[in-house]
Amino acid sequence: MEQLIVVIVLVGLGYFVGSIAEKRHYRSIVSREAQLLHIPAVTVKNMIEQDADIIDARMIQGSAVISIDHFKRLLASLRNIFGGKVAAYESLVDRARREAVLRMKEKAPNADIVLNTRIETSTIGRSANSRGGIGSIEAIAYGTAVSYRK
Amino acid sequence: MKYVPKELKTNINVTKTSPPKELFILLGGVLAFLIIGYVVLGFAVDFVVPRLPSSVEQTLSRPFERNFADAKENKKSEQLEKVLQKLVDVMPEKRGTYKVYLVEHKQVNAMALPGGNIVVFSGLMDEVGSEQELAFVLGHELGHFANRDHLKGLGRGLLLYSLLSLLVGPDSSLAEIMGGTLVGIQMKYSQRQEIAADTYALDLLDRQYEQVSGAIEFMEKLSIKEKKGHFAYYFSTHPHPETRITNIKNEIRKR
Repeated sequence: MEQLIVVIVLVGLGYFVGSIAEKRHYRSIVSREAQLLHIPAVTVKNMIEQDADIIDARMIQGSAVISIDHFKRLLASLRNIFGGKVAAYESLVDRARREAVLRMKEKAPNADIVLNTRIETSTIGRSANSRGGIGSIEAIAYGTAVSYRK
Repeated sequence: MKYVPKELKTNINVTKTSPPKELFILLGGVLAFLIIGYVVLGFAVDFVVPRLPSSVEQTLSRPFERNFADAKENKKSEQLEKVLQKLVDVMPEKRGTYKVYLVEHKQVNAMALPGGNIVVFSGLMDEVGSEQELAFVLGHELGHFANRDHLKGLGRGLLLYSLLSLLVGPDSSLAEIMGGTLVGIQMKYSQRQEIAADTYALDLLDRQYEQVSGAIEFMEKLSIKEKKGHFAYYFSTHPHPETRITNIKNEIRKR
C-alpha cells in the first residue's frame, strides 16, 4: 500500500512538473531558434557557393541531455504492451535534438553556414528501462561552421 | 541560389496527444485484461483444487513442515492436540491427518498450511480463555481444510504473480498499480472464505460441545482489541471482527 502511494506521488509529480518544464523548454527553443534562423545548418559537405572566400572554418558541437519522468515512463511501459507510437518519448527526443542544434549554433553566432551537420543520440544510464530506473537521452549535434567574406 | 530563412510553425516530430487520456485508455485496457484473466483462471483453480490428489498436497506441504519440525512439545501444545483431536472426531468429511504446531510468536493468529498442518502462534494462545474458544480457532482452520481454501489461496496467489509478471514484467511502478487492483479482488474472495470457515467451525463446536458460546466470546475479544476501522479492512484478508460476529449470530439464529 505504501509503495503504491509512493508510485502515485512520483507519477503525479512527473506529470505536473514534467509538463511545466516541457512547455517552458519549448518556449525557449522556439524563441532561440528564431534568433539563430539566419545560420543554416545543412548536411552537405562542400560549400554550395563555389567562389566564396572562406575566412574561418572550424568544428562546432553542442549536446543536451534530457531526462524522462515517471509519468512518461509509465505511459511508455503501457505502450510496450499494446504497441504503437510512443508519443510520450517523442517530445523528449525532439527537445534533445533541437536543443543540441541550438547549442551548436550558439558556439558560432557569427558563422554564415554550418556544413556537414550531424546529429547523434544515445541513452544515458543503462537502467532506462529496468526496475525503478529513470533514464536520460543525450543528443549531440556537430558540424563545420564556415564564415566567408561577403 | 539564395537562402531564405523560414520558421516552421508545426512540429511533425511530436504526435499531438493528451497524455492523461492515453494513460487512462491504456491502463483501463491492461486492467480489464488482468481482471478477466484473473477471474477466469481463478475459477480454473477452484475447479482443479478439489480434484488434486493428496500426494500432490503432500509434496506441497514439505517446505512448510520443515519449518515447524523443531516446534517444542509442552503443556500448551498437548492441549492443542487434545482439542484438535476432539474436533477431528466429529468432522463430517476427513482428508488425511491433521497436525497442530505451536510457534512462539506474539502475533494473534493461526494458519492452515498444506498437508493438514495447522500453525498456532503463542500470542493467540495467550488470548484464548476457554477450551471452547480454542476449539473455535482450530475449527476455523479445519474449515479452511474442508473448503480447500489453503490450496485455493496458494493457487490464486501464484496466479496473481504470474499474471502480473507476464504482463508488466519487472517494471515496478506498473506492477504496483496493477497489483493494488487485483489484491482488492483477491481480498474480497478471501473474506468470503473466512466467513465460510467461521460457519464450519460453528458446526464443529455444535457437534462436539453442543453449544457455540466460545465463538462469540473469542471474536468479541478480537473486536475490542481491534482499533482499525471498517474501511481499513477493505484491503485485508479477513473481514472486520464485528462483521464476523454478525455472521456468527446469524448462523446461530438459523439453527
